[in-house]
Amino acid sequence: MATTMLHKHRVSVLFSFGRSLFVRLNVLQGEFGLHQKCSGYSRPINTLSASEAIAEIKNMPDESRPMPAKKPISKAMKAYLLQAKNYDEFMKKQNTEFQIGRRHLANIMSMDADTMSQEDIDQAIEFLFPSGLYEPRARPMMKSPELIFPPKKAAEFDESGRPYHSLFYTMNPNFYGLLQDAVTEYIGLNKEEDNMIRKRISFSSDMKIILSGSDWLSQEKLSNLLIEQIDDAQYEQFKNVMLRLAEHPLSNKVKDFIMKYRYSLVNEAALAEIPKPSYEKDGRAYVTFKGARRKNAYADVTVHMPGTGKFLINDCDIEYFQDIQSREQITFPLIFTALLGKVDVTATAIQGGTTGQSGAVRYGLAMALRSFVDDKMVERMRLAGLLQVDWRTRERKKPGQPGARRKPTWKAR
Amino acid sequence: MSSLTKLISTLARVSDTKLALLNHSNVQIISSAKMSQYPKYFIDPTFRNDELNALYETGEVKEKALVPCRAALTEHTSSEFYSSFTRKFINHVMRKGNKQLAREVVEKAFEVIKKTQIQKYHSLPPEKKVDFTIRDPHELFHQAVINVKPIMVLTPIKRGGVRYQVPVPVDDLQATILAYKWFIEASKDKERTVRFYNKLAKEIMDAANNTGRVVKKKLDLHKQCEANRAYAHYRWN
Repeated sequence: MATTMLHKHRVSVLFSFGRSLFVRLNVLQGEFGLHQKCSGYSRPINTLSASEAIAEIKNMPDESRPMPAKKPISKAMKAYLLQAKNYDEFMKKQNTEFQIGRRHLANIMSMDADTMSQEDIDQAIEFLFPSGLYEPRARPMMKSPELIFPPKKAAEFDESGRPYHSLFYTMNPNFYGLLQDAVTEYIGLNKEEDNMIRKRISFSSDMKIILSGSDWLSQEKLSNLLIEQIDDAQYEQFKNVMLRLAEHPLSNKVKDFIMKYRYSLVNEAALAEIPKPSYEKDGRAYVTFKGARRKNAYADVTVHMPGTGKFLINDCDIEYFQDIQSREQITFPLIFTALLGKVDVTATAIQGGTTGQSGAVRYGLAMALRSFVDDKMVERMRLAGLLQVDWRTRERKKPGQPGARRKPTWKAR
Repeated sequence: MSSLTKLISTLARVSDTKLALLNHSNVQIISSAKMSQYPKYFIDPTFRNDELNALYETGEVKEKALVPCRAALTEHTSSEFYSSFTRKFINHVMRKGNKQLAREVVEKAFEVIKKTQIQKYHSLPPEKKVDFTIRDPHELFHQAVINVKPIMVLTPIKRGGVRYQVPVPVDDLQATILAYKWFIEASKDKERTVRFYNKLAKEIMDAANNTGRVVKKKLDLHKQCEANRAYAHYRWN
């Protein structure tokens, strides 16, 4: 570690009786134990005021004192700094290439380059390079380099080798810094709590944060956020610490801090768009929900509002479904919303079997009924599990096994 | 599909965090199944109107408002003919995934019960008709299962090379499952000409009266537990 040069100015000011100010100074008395001649004054000492003298000392050049020779940077340090510099240059280059690519793409697709969003780019790439690959991450993509290349930390210590972060030697400074921040917040909340108790202010339940509707960032996401590898034990520790903070009765005050490390669960967009009914010539309102799925079956369901409870499934009555469970399924949304004899249902179901088709019709019917009921009932339907796609499918058979889960007969020898 | 070991370790992690979270009142443990195609934070659906109304009254709805919900199963309906208790029994009766047949059989048994009960009711003199209240086969079946559920069960425990039959208390769910099994076994065991649903109906009605074959089996088991009282300490040793 290279030593830094410290100039110690010790100025002792002695005020004598009367008017004259007498300034005495020891320059550079520090580690070298040198006492220099006070040369370089433009005026004699006893004509200077204290502040003027101090200013002169500060402006004095140091060329009289020899600088210690610059310690050579170790090879490891050099390599590290070079790597950091290379990464920065690489990212800059990638960014310029991306920007040029964006402009070219806008040109090709005759879009405005300035207002083109990442969604537009994705759509354009999907159009220009159609891919049959299953894994989305294997398909051609054009994204900003920050999203593609894993983020790296900037140089963590300066040329002299002193690290910038005080927790650098923990090897995970960002992670432990986060834990320390959480604890600092907790201590702050404790102090506030004490204050409130002293002032006899009552606590209410809305001072505590509501965690339902969101969940902690996964281990992977947290690692990406902190640009550090978080192992299982550390992740558990993180969750325990944050949960302890969230359990504090005043945790709503640190809501921003906590929510940074949580993601919301509900896809609001999926629930928000309830289609408005269209109208037939005779004035009857109707809504069609297309593409309802269950297992391998697809269904399109149309609901006419002022109706008499008729069912038309693939041009048959409700007796298209012969077993009672399927019939119960398709009447479930109607019974739940109390619209059993009040709407007409027309559905076309293709592929799949009995359960699949009836499940698809049930889902399509529930989604179509949203337009004819109020918001409270829509929420009730959601809690009843009617507005959720049942994406359970038949599990595939695995090699070396007779079935999906069934294993070959166990033999003792 | 991830490899089995990774799945197991994931489950272990999930269960550990769940245990940790259980101790904190702020977070509710919400999904019923651990291994499922739904993410673990999905909650179970409440499709019965009375249960939903109760949620609104107690204010639990607020917690569920922001959390995604699983789809209702194909057995779930909000109709008045639905009974969650019987539904479980139908699943136990089912063989080789033939839910339709299992349901038909159990419903036929209930039909037989209903007819018998109505016959009995009409054959009674008017004074006694008031006391004869239970005619609903679902209720009767419920009562039958309660009468048949064992409290203790014998488990083989190996001590010093010998397997002892040790009496052990059994929790509610296991007891119910045993009761279901015994009903089905008893209904299968019969003369060739007697139908399963007829025998099942008879067994249920007998059990609701605390008589019959299945209740006898439970009582025999309890007697054996009493007899093996001496080995009870092997449970802990």
